[in-house]
Amino acid sequence: MAESPAFESPVVRSYESSSGGPLMLTDASATTKWLVRAETGGAAADRMDAPFGSSRTAGGGAFVMGSRPGEWIVTGPADAVAEVVAGLDGVDSSEFVTALDWTHGRALFLVTGTDAPRMLEKVCSLDWSDAMTPNGAVASASVAKVTCDIARYDGDSAPTYMIFCDRSFGQYLFDALIDAGDEFGLAVGLPNG
Amino acid sequence: MTMSRLGPQPTEVLDRSTKLRFRWNGKRFDGFEGDTIASALAAAGEHVFSRSMKYHRPRGILTADYWDPNLMVQVGDDPNVRAGNRLLEAGMDVRAQNVWPSLHRDIKAANSLFGRFLTAGFYYKTFMRPAWLWPTYERVLATFAPGGKIDLDTPHRYHDKRYTHPDVVVAGAGPAGIEAALAAAAAGARVLLVEHEHAVGGHLRYSSSDSDQAVLAELRAALDASEVEVLTNSTVTGRYEDNWLGIVQRNHPIAVERLIKARAKVLVAAPGLIERPYVFSGNDRPGVITSGAARRLINLWGVKPGERAVVFTANSEGDAAAADLDRVGVEIAAIIDGREGKRVSSAQGSSRALGAVVAGGNRIEADLLVVAAGWTAPTSLLNMAGDRPVHDPATARFFPSDPPGNVLATGGLAGDGTLDELRAHGAATGRLAAQRAAAVAHRLQAMTARARPVDGDEPAWAPDERTPLGRDPHPELYRSDTHGMVDFSEDVGSKDLVAAAHEGYDSVELAKRYTTSTMGPSQGKLETVNTVAAIAEARGETIAQVGTTVWRPPYAPLTLGALAGRVFEPVRVSSIHPWHEANGVSTIIAGQWMRPDHYGDPAAEVRNVRTNVGLIDVTPLGKLDLRGPDIPKLLNLLYTNKWSKLPVGKVRYGMMCAEDGVVLDDGVTGRLGEDHYLMTTTSSGAGGVWEWVENWLQTERPDWKVHVTPVTTAYVSINVAGPKARELVGRVTEGVDLSPDAFPYMEVRLATVAGVDGCFMWRIGFTGELSFEIHAPSGHGLHVWEALMDAGQDLGVGPFGLEGQRIMRLEKGHFIVGQDTDGLTLGPSTGLSPLIKLDKDDFAGMPELAWAADRSLPMIVAIQPDDPNVVPDEASQIVRGNTNEILGRITSARMSPTLGRSICLGQVEPELAAGGTKVTVLLTSGERVSATVMDHHAHFDPAGERLRG
Repeated sequence: MAESPAFESPVVRSYESSSGGPLMLTDASATTKWLVRAETGGAAADRMDAPFGSSRTAGGGAFVMGSRPGEWIVTGPADAVAEVVAGLDGVDSSEFVTALDWTHGRALFLVTGTDAPRMLEKVCSLDWSDAMTPNGAVASASVAKVTCDIARYDGDSAPTYMIFCDRSFGQYLFDALIDAGDEFGLAVGLPNG
Repeated sequence: MTMSRLGPQPTEVLDRSTKLRFRWNGKRFDGFEGDTIASALAAAGEHVFSRSMKYHRPRGILTADYWDPNLMVQVGDDPNVRAGNRLLEAGMDVRAQNVWPSLHRDIKAANSLFGRFLTAGFYYKTFMRPAWLWPTYERVLATFAPGGKIDLDTPHRYHDKRYTHPDVVVAGAGPAGIEAALAAAAAGARVLLVEHEHAVGGHLRYSSSDSDQAVLAELRAALDASEVEVLTNSTVTGRYEDNWLGIVQRNHPIAVERLIKARAKVLVAAPGLIERPYVFSGNDRPGVITSGAARRLINLWGVKPGERAVVFTANSEGDAAAADLDRVGVEIAAIIDGREGKRVSSAQGSSRALGAVVAGGNRIEADLLVVAAGWTAPTSLLNMAGDRPVHDPATARFFPSDPPGNVLATGGLAGDGTLDELRAHGAATGRLAAQRAAAVAHRLQAMTARARPVDGDEPAWAPDERTPLGRDPHPELYRSDTHGMVDFSEDVGSKDLVAAAHEGYDSVELAKRYTTSTMGPSQGKLETVNTVAAIAEARGETIAQVGTTVWRPPYAPLTLGALAGRVFEPVRVSSIHPWHEANGVSTIIAGQWMRPDHYGDPAAEVRNVRTNVGLIDVTPLGKLDLRGPDIPKLLNLLYTNKWSKLPVGKVRYGMMCAEDGVVLDDGVTGRLGEDHYLMTTTSSGAGGVWEWVENWLQTERPDWKVHVTPVTTAYVSINVAGPKARELVGRVTEGVDLSPDAFPYMEVRLATVAGVDGCFMWRIGFTGELSFEIHAPSGHGLHVWEALMDAGQDLGVGPFGLEGQRIMRLEKGHFIVGQDTDGLTLGPSTGLSPLIKLDKDDFAGMPELAWAADRSLPMIVAIQPDDPNVVPDEASQIVRGNTNEILGRITSARMSPTLGRSICLGQVEPELAAGGTKVTVLLTSGERVSATVMDHHAHFDPAGERLRG
């Protein structure tokens, strides 16, 4: 059996990329993403430990987002994500739990920098203040007229916003974000994930 | 009126080291950096800037700011530019609007000769009859339409948009507004301060008082040191529900305009006061200006507004203007003090310039009349918040009455006082705004899942304990003992308003619409009070009794570009799109999708599929991943046919109907595992079907264990069609026996294709050919497509697009939901009655379909024109013989490359549905052609031997 080919990003245009800058846009579409659904308030929800609107970092760098009531997006290194998903196996079988690999269905972009909220204000009507969208916050919103899931994950650096959208919109949204960030000196980072 | 440039003034905003050259009506002029268009022209001695709308009277500077109705000009291809506000730029081509042949010799000024016939309602009364002449009237009247010229070839400019959620928005950056912003920010609020003019400071900017300038410097420094976000040359254009504010920013560095949508927790209205013109004979003559205009011209732009002035003053602003004029060497011919009951009766002179002022029976030679007759309180934002300001005759202006608690007023809008008192009121307002904003913020955080959790109870709603501002007495000066202009934008005089009132239009709302007073670009800021006063006078009542019009958004006119903002037009593409573009695709827009229509010759693409093998990218095909033990129940509910016994590995076609029995969508669903299915929908129905499914699950059957996930673009979908499809697919597929017996029609397998694991492969297609539909993970979709293309070169593989597929599906007789069906097409009309299982317990649309089962319904049928070369336009009507009685229509029509003749699908009345029936098709050309209804939908391979191959 031949080895699986490399992941093809939805962002196919070429950009001058930068290894760093005060405001960065990075294509992380290749990052593993799973969608988990379970009963709100059930044992699986307890294991996911990220109520709707919040998130947590799990072992190995996996990131668990409470994207909707009874729904979670798990993203990060493939092994770490697999471990989080595997952790659901022990849940009582009477509870209805499903998980599916969403890696190919969703584009993922990272916007990093202190000016990121000002940039995102141009394309999204969310309140990006620390009070309403603190580190760890998860929301769904229209970004440049595309329905997206959004999570704030600052890590040790400046504010970082993870923006997930349907893969087919990926190139359009990437360009819309570049346009929004232009006035703040946005640089395009090397793809990661 | 002789205007000229003064020497440097201590408060001027000019950079005299930067000279800007521009053109005015074709002639060269110079100004300085910091000039407005109007100030530069005034400094150069120009005193006529426009012609009035109706009478084409020469008009000069009136207020020298954004609101000046006489300073509308064309700049390049930009019409209706406010020369009193727009800063001068080098190279500007500025022209007067709607004049012919020139500003100074305007033929349309002949209108003024007929002025007494052009009273309010003239157009309504005159051009009603005869009705047949209206087109001519319209053409002629259009030439008199005011405003600049729009160049339809003007390139689109960048208009930006922004959303923001400040705690406090302060509208107006005069001293009170600045203090409010500073105090709110000091209390921890996020504050947005919006100023209409180019700089903060309000009236302090053009004050020549040293103490005022010291305060201004102090306020500016405090703002610089604060966290307040300041927007200048920006306007809060509207206040909507829950303090949803529209703000237009006109000076953004990268956009011609930016529309900001702000959700403020508290709005502070601090727009200051707007100086009100005085109504008297000749008040629109060039040379008659407000006191604020005089002070702005002198102190901001170093322009001497005249040589010999009469000052009509009823307040301190007028007094200060007189002092400024005197200081810069303007001879003060007379000061007429309105506080002493004195009045100006008329301004006389040539049509283009003031010569004398008549007051108290005396005629005073002068080229400048400065008027300080009172103030209009621009209560617009309060009106928009539901407040109904009340008129105070003692101060001759309106005051807020009872705005909602999240809208506060300060500054001149709230009352009068010393500068210190105004600042103190502003600061108290800012503190109150911050307190109330904190309560709103607490509430919002508590109710929003993602927000930072809040501690403690919601803060109490802070009471309004501000010390009210006073009210300085001011004489009621609206109209003198003569009539004059009330609305300078619309050329409406006090005589017109009196006449309107006498005609019965004595309600202010009616009179406004009848005369159009207050409806011009100034939006009532200069005219409203005088309009109401004129009507009150005509009715013999007070202003309070007459009431006022309700100011609605926008506070100031804004461009359509600003409203449109940035145009977001999302487009969707599949992973294979780059290949299509590189291979000569002709793209078709289908919803948001960019899809391959064809690659140059759709007919050749069809022939290749029928002969060899072709690939089509059908990624937009809707795909829903279904998981859970109750999926069969769900499918039985959604589809008209039965799903309880679909084995793993099998695929079944289904038709969905809405509750009214009308066809909603169709597609195939395959069982991938015990509790795992993949449903496909039409491409256009993908979103709607997902909502439909979720609606049933969430509202009707929340107890069912089914999870539905849209995976349309998680998979690239490639249909491999043609007699050589099996051979091609076999070359790149591992782990699946593709033989007809092992993998027959309407089955599904999990496969590895071109080294990509996790591909679903279906034995289905829309072309009527042997087909394998491969759904590969999108991140490897292009690789799979290219692998198939490479592997099939010797087989004659080629791409085909949507057009080729549409031809082949029509040859095969497959209908398309939404094209061959419509909003009235019931399930049985499709010819698929055997799939409507009325013996099921229940399904969506079952009662209607049970009713329909006993009815004769229009039917979808295959039709062939008797002349094989005639291809009717889609939607051509099927009629009875030579009559126009409609019996159906053509829903799809193409020339079939396979059959060499035209083929159609259509909907016909039941009496025509039998095979062999002759029908008449009325072509769009008007010609009638004969056609024959076929025995079955398929024009080609009706037995289905090829697709089962």
